Amino acid sequence: MPSDPGSFRAFAGRAFDPAAIPGKPEALAGIRVLEVASRIFGPATADYLGLFGAEVIKVEMPPRGDLMRYVAPEGFFWKEVSPAFLSLNRNKLHVGLDLHPAEGKELFLRLAERSDVVVENLRAGTMDEWGVGYLQLRERTPRIVYAANSGFGQWGPYSAGRASYDATAQAVSGFSAVTGFPDQPPMKAGFWVGDYTAALMSATAILAALAARRKTGEGQMIDLSQAEAMIRTLDWTWPYAGSTGKDRVRNGNVDPSYPPSGIYRCRDGFVAVSARDEDELIPLAHAVGATDPEETWVASTERVGAFCASRRVDEVVRIAEDAGFSAAPVRGGKDHYHDPHLRARGTVCSVDDPLYGRVDEYGPAPKLSESPGRVKWSAKPVGWHNERVFGDLLGMTAGEMEALVRKKVIGKWADVPGARPPKGSTP
Amino acid sequence: MSGFAGWARKATEPSVAAGKPEALEGIRVLEFCPGHFGGMVAASVLAEFGAEAIKVEPPDGDPLRLVAPEDILVAGTGLPFLSEARNRRFVTLDADNPAGRDLFRRLALSSDVIVTTESPERMEAMGCDYPSLRGERPGIVYLSLSTYGAFGPDASRPVRDSDILCQALSGAPYIVGEPERGDGTPLPHQAPTRLGNWHGGFVQGLWGAYGVLAALHFRAETGKGQAVDLSGAESLMMFADYNITWMHTGGKARERVGNFDPAVFPYTYIRCRDGYTFIAAYNDEAFDSLMHIIGRPELTRDPRFSTPKNRVALENERALLEILEEWSGDRTADEILGAVEEYTSKRGGPGAAVVTGRVNRPLETLSEEHWRERGCFLRSRDPVYGELLLAAPPWKMSGTPARWKSGCRPPGSDNRDVYLGILGMTEEEYRRMAEAGTF
Repeated sequence: MPSDPGSFRAFAGRAFDPAAIPGKPEALAGIRVLEVASRIFGPATADYLGLFGAEVIKVEMPPRGDLMRYVAPEGFFWKEVSPAFLSLNRNKLHVGLDLHPAEGKELFLRLAERSDVVVENLRAGTMDEWGVGYLQLRERTPRIVYAANSGFGQWGPYSAGRASYDATAQAVSGFSAVTGFPDQPPMKAGFWVGDYTAALMSATAILAALAARRKTGEGQMIDLSQAEAMIRTLDWTWPYAGSTGKDRVRNGNVDPSYPPSGIYRCRDGFVAVSARDEDELIPLAHAVGATDPEETWVASTERVGAFCASRRVDEVVRIAEDAGFSAAPVRGGKDHYHDPHLRARGTVCSVDDPLYGRVDEYGPAPKLSESPGRVKWSAKPVGWHNERVFGDLLGMTAGEMEALVRKKVIGKWADVPGARPPKGSTP
Repeated sequence: MSGFAGWARKATEPSVAAGKPEALEGIRVLEFCPGHFGGMVAASVLAEFGAEAIKVEPPDGDPLRLVAPEDILVAGTGLPFLSEARNRRFVTLDADNPAGRDLFRRLALSSDVIVTTESPERMEAMGCDYPSLRGERPGIVYLSLSTYGAFGPDASRPVRDSDILCQALSGAPYIVGEPERGDGTPLPHQAPTRLGNWHGGFVQGLWGAYGVLAALHFRAETGKGQAVDLSGAESLMMFADYNITWMHTGGKARERVGNFDPAVFPYTYIRCRDGYTFIAAYNDEAFDSLMHIIGRPELTRDPRFSTPKNRVALENERALLEILEEWSGDRTADEILGAVEEYTSKRGGPGAAVVTGRVNRPLETLSEEHWRERGCFLRSRDPVYGELLLAAPPWKMSGTPARWKSGCRPPGSDNRDVYLGILGMTEEEYRRMAEAGTF
């Protein structure tokens, strides 16, 4: 039966309260993920699973590990770790394991026997060449779900040998061709959108494959190309090309589906103005000077542009809220960091890490009332959890581990910024 | 094709998908997202994995059908709606009328997942908010999508959710686009720049589907349903790199730098004879490779470029771009790819990490054989909407492949099927409701 009016907001305040999260169960508890990946596409996939409670074992090649460790904004390292590496590797167990020697492969196969999911983003076919690809893993572990993330897919003319980064996918998919201004070159998104978008798609397919496994007991391989992931996001680009034979063009900051909705310059910043239909266009036209309610044409990009240019961002937002169209400020990382709304939602959150102390992060976007996601700890140096994983999980003795360290099958961090623990910490 | 690639092709080719089982078979998703693209994406993604999706539209059709860039309408429906209207049944009902609300509630109580973009207040008034439904259906998973989310100080802000609002708040446009030069009035393009597609809406839908799948996993373990609250702004925000960690550790915010990058370089688009191509070679070994490829090996010892840190100083990025374009200007993107592949095939490890790829216009992407072979696009045929070119589901899966099964149908096409087949309505009841304008 219908509840009391307004009760949903009260329910939501209680049900999603970030302070209650530590006491709640995790959605993916009991799922173990092996990550053999570097940079962003693979690590972000595993990160998204880890945020919701999967146990992620990140397998890195000792002693330098994931090359993302050395991607540092303006060359800046904090406590010997790059902030760009931190944000991709929450809640993970870090092991240093070389998959080239036979003993390394065998250790990996043993880890896989105890795992549910493998995520990799090496060049297509590399894991198979090394003898630890899907076909080899499923011999011993038919229930394994294997996500093969790559630029161009595991098969097809471009699959062999071609490497790919985020911007490869932005470029070859057509995404950049429709981003930016018509009289300017195509614009590369300044963040690694071609990696994250594909990573989220990979993590989504992994959950679908786990649902299928529940019914059949069988795992499977997922082949995801990051370029194809970006192609899938380009909405009406493809039916437009198919029906008109033409390229969709760059349209600058105005959304060609909802003109004059777009991003506009104000006196003190930028604002997004949005009008989805007549119900919003009429008040918008009125705000920018129409005298007759029928004159929605008055809400042209020029008029809206002039209206915003002479006002502050908060004025435009307030006028929109009073009048009945929509507006929101263009915000950046500094705004997010200080935003009480995002803090209250746990979307910007603090984690008290045993090695680094307080680290602030973006938390998980979907808020689940019963089994919420969370950031439990931050990224760690190469091999930080070797004893925990090889000892506790695989049951190896200290002597066995030492022997493998001597043979360089397993190992820990190189003594360089990015790989090693903070100065003065006692591992 | 070699052993593994050959096996992978045979196991995952979209043409063999139809005979295989589906991952989410047996999960029913009810989509109530009038005028909203992100909600459609959430339902589409679940439906591509095999969930049974039912889209509820007002009797005269979803307002998103009328959104028509360049005024292109196909049988009254615009291309954005047509691009995402897949694998679902289309029912209509009048949610402003008590009989229609009752119908909606019956549908909701027969579903596993609700996806809605309507306000909590409206859903409450319909008796179909999460607290109302879970009493009768405790396993229900209830996804609500909005700009700001359902709780927190800004949750009640009066906006109607859209891609541009979510993009603006997400921090994405803030770091896309050309900076101002500080020499007079900025030009229009020297501004935070929107992603040209509806990436905000798309990512909102994708995180929504992910949240639902995590909740369904939990339900399979415990029997418990739950509510999933998702802000579209926060969805894209999660992709905004190291914004927060850098603020926290270094007190710095990312700013826009055009096609440059504050953390990796070279990592940019370079002009070539037939347009632009992407080039990346940012670790020392890869940079050494690239300098050999362009015939300037001495530059690895140039103090401006000799370390990753020096290479990401903005003035050095500009200087290096100029050097790269001297080389690339009279070569085609394919020639650049050939030169890179020839050199890197002889090097392993980090030295092979020179990466390139042409900045394709959509028609150029469509002309490439690779995507055709991989079944990346499909042509749907429908008596009403004719032939349409669409992006296929991107996942190739060996066991339960995602797949495209059906395209757009007119509003209410599946009313009879759904109302008789799922709700068990009699012919008489159906006729009465149709006559009363309930759907």
